[in-house]
Amino acid sequence: MARDITYLTDVFLITCVVESGLADKIIDAATSVGAQGATINYARGTGIRDRMGLLGVTIDEQKEIIRIIVSKEQSNRVFESMYLAGNLDTPGKGIMWMVKLDRVATYIPKDVIKRAGG
Amino acid sequence: MKYSDYIHESEINHKSLSYNLLTPKATKGKSLKPQKIKVSPAKALTLLAPYTISRIMEQIKAVVPLAAYLFLFQLLILRQPISSATTICLGLIAVIIGLAIFMEGLKTGLMPFGNVIGDTLPKKAPMVLVLIIIGILGVGVTYAEPAIGALKAFGSSINPQDAPYLYEILNNRSETLVVMVGAGVGLAAIIGTIRFVKGWSLKPMIYAALAPTIILTAYVWSNPDLRTILGLAWDCGAVTTGPVTVPLVLSLGIGIAASAGKGDSSLSGFGVVTMASLFPIIAVLILAIHVSQTISVEEIIASTSMASDMTIGEVSKWSQTPFVEIIGGVRAILPLVIFLMIVLFVILRSKLPNNMITTYGLTLSIIGMCVFNIGLTYGLGAIGGQAGTNLPAAFMEVPISEVSPIYNELLGLTIVILFAWLLGFGATLAEPALNALGLTVQELTNGAFKKSMLMYSVAGGVAFGIALGVGKIVFAFDLATVLIPLYLLAIVLTYFSTEEFVNVAWDSAGVTTGPVTVPLVLAMGLGLGNAVSATEGFGILSMASICPILAVLLMGLYIQFKQKK
Repeated sequence: MARDITYLTDVFLITCVVESGLADKIIDAATSVGAQGATINYARGTGIRDRMGLLGVTIDEQKEIIRIIVSKEQSNRVFESMYLAGNLDTPGKGIMWMVKLDRVATYIPKDVIKRAGG
Repeated sequence: MKYSDYIHESEINHKSLSYNLLTPKATKGKSLKPQKIKVSPAKALTLLAPYTISRIMEQIKAVVPLAAYLFLFQLLILRQPISSATTICLGLIAVIIGLAIFMEGLKTGLMPFGNVIGDTLPKKAPMVLVLIIIGILGVGVTYAEPAIGALKAFGSSINPQDAPYLYEILNNRSETLVVMVGAGVGLAAIIGTIRFVKGWSLKPMIYAALAPTIILTAYVWSNPDLRTILGLAWDCGAVTTGPVTVPLVLSLGIGIAASAGKGDSSLSGFGVVTMASLFPIIAVLILAIHVSQTISVEEIIASTSMASDMTIGEVSKWSQTPFVEIIGGVRAILPLVIFLMIVLFVILRSKLPNNMITTYGLTLSIIGMCVFNIGLTYGLGAIGGQAGTNLPAAFMEVPISEVSPIYNELLGLTIVILFAWLLGFGATLAEPALNALGLTVQELTNGAFKKSMLMYSVAGGVAFGIALGVGKIVFAFDLATVLIPLYLLAIVLTYFSTEEFVNVAWDSAGVTTGPVTVPLVLAMGLGLGNAVSATEGFGILSMASICPILAVLLMGLYIQFKQKK
């Protein structure tokens, strides 16, 4: 029997690189406006920290990378609330971006597909 | 109109800017490497403020609740005014600031050394040299441990008549004591590293380390002059495993295990702490036996009466605050730093990733240590000692309190034991290292051992331990008669437990005794000991080490039992 793949379209990926320890707060902000979940990676960042001399110590070298997949409809709202929750408008806190994904596939419960009319 | 669009438009101002305008333009003959950034003072402030505040807040969370608990208990339950409250408050502020500075220095200054050495040493040097370096490092980190200063600071409160050898070791041989403790930690680090590489099980190592410990304890206990040293010896094990030793030794060990190709075991980080809290006990016991063979009780008492005659009238500038603390701080950190530098620059011919920040970190760790030492004497030591001295007023008549005994004997004793229990429980739950251990354990056991379960069983264990230790001082029962059976019980439980739980349980004792709890509890024990005229006030920490081990082992067995069903 042939197996099914249901492709999801209208999907966006938000990636957010922040100082280590901020991820939980930002993910909380994202899920409270409808994001379904998040993936966190730990990473080490370079760049501005090395160019500030001694003041570089105020920026944590350890970073957390948050990735969240959202629908097109949610995307602006989630993006903005993450930006505000992480205080990314203050220096040294982090950077974030959003890209359009071509397609996404995962397990989707049958009744959910039915409900969506697919 | 969609609600999300409404929010999008109404609450945030949007602007777009081409990144092309910000990136440097390619011009001939000019490097495009980014220039140094000039930060204006106002911008610097927005960077520095959260940086400083978050680090100080961390320490405030650790210190203030404990201090408030002690203050309130003394005022409300013991009805005793707090003497020299201003000095104590200033001292506590020094502790908070000192620890905040020290921890930041540890992170930015000392840890990079540990990481670079851990990564490169095993590749460039033969195994024997690696082990020797790790052994020496054990001594160095012991010196740098903030809590170790507490041991030396409280030595003068011992009465040489009652506990001659304890007095001798703490006053005239305190340097030897620290070196011996350090040697124990060094040996533990060496064996722990070999274990990393060979992937040995922890169980036989615990049996092998406990056998001599218990035999020596029994031997020392059989000698009435030496018996008083047991509390100190067992407490030393708890003092050593602090915020400097554990991460530095671990970062080396893990680096070595990774380069030897066996770093994949999720448990490889455990076990060193256990060894580092058992070997110092053996080392101190050996030192005590050695001292007892070289010097007699009469000689110690004779020399103390002579010394007390001599020192009157000549207190030099260097033995006064703050010089004493500053010298102590520099002496604690500098040898470790010099040793790490020799290893890195001479043996490895390697460089540090960022010289300026490391120098800044090292400076911070020395300054932090000095400030912390001042706070240790005037803040933590004073408040702990006062609490200990006033505690007996609850159940017996003491000269300092007019209303004593405040309660009848049974109620008073219950209050004191309950006080000790709550102190242990609260102080342990507040320890950040416990939270981290809880998370690790939850991941290791795939959620079978929940974080909160571990935290509560460790905190409950420490609470029982501290209550038991306070009971030991008040009722003056022998430490060995409690410790030996408890450790034998721990061996039996270890035999029946699985490797994961053994690792976690034996390490949990080490993480609970941080730089705030240790001086506080030590000072409280000694103050209490003096107030009820016990011979010595050590031993509380050793109880606080074994009880969480038992608690976690029991909890582990319970989980195993439940899973089988």
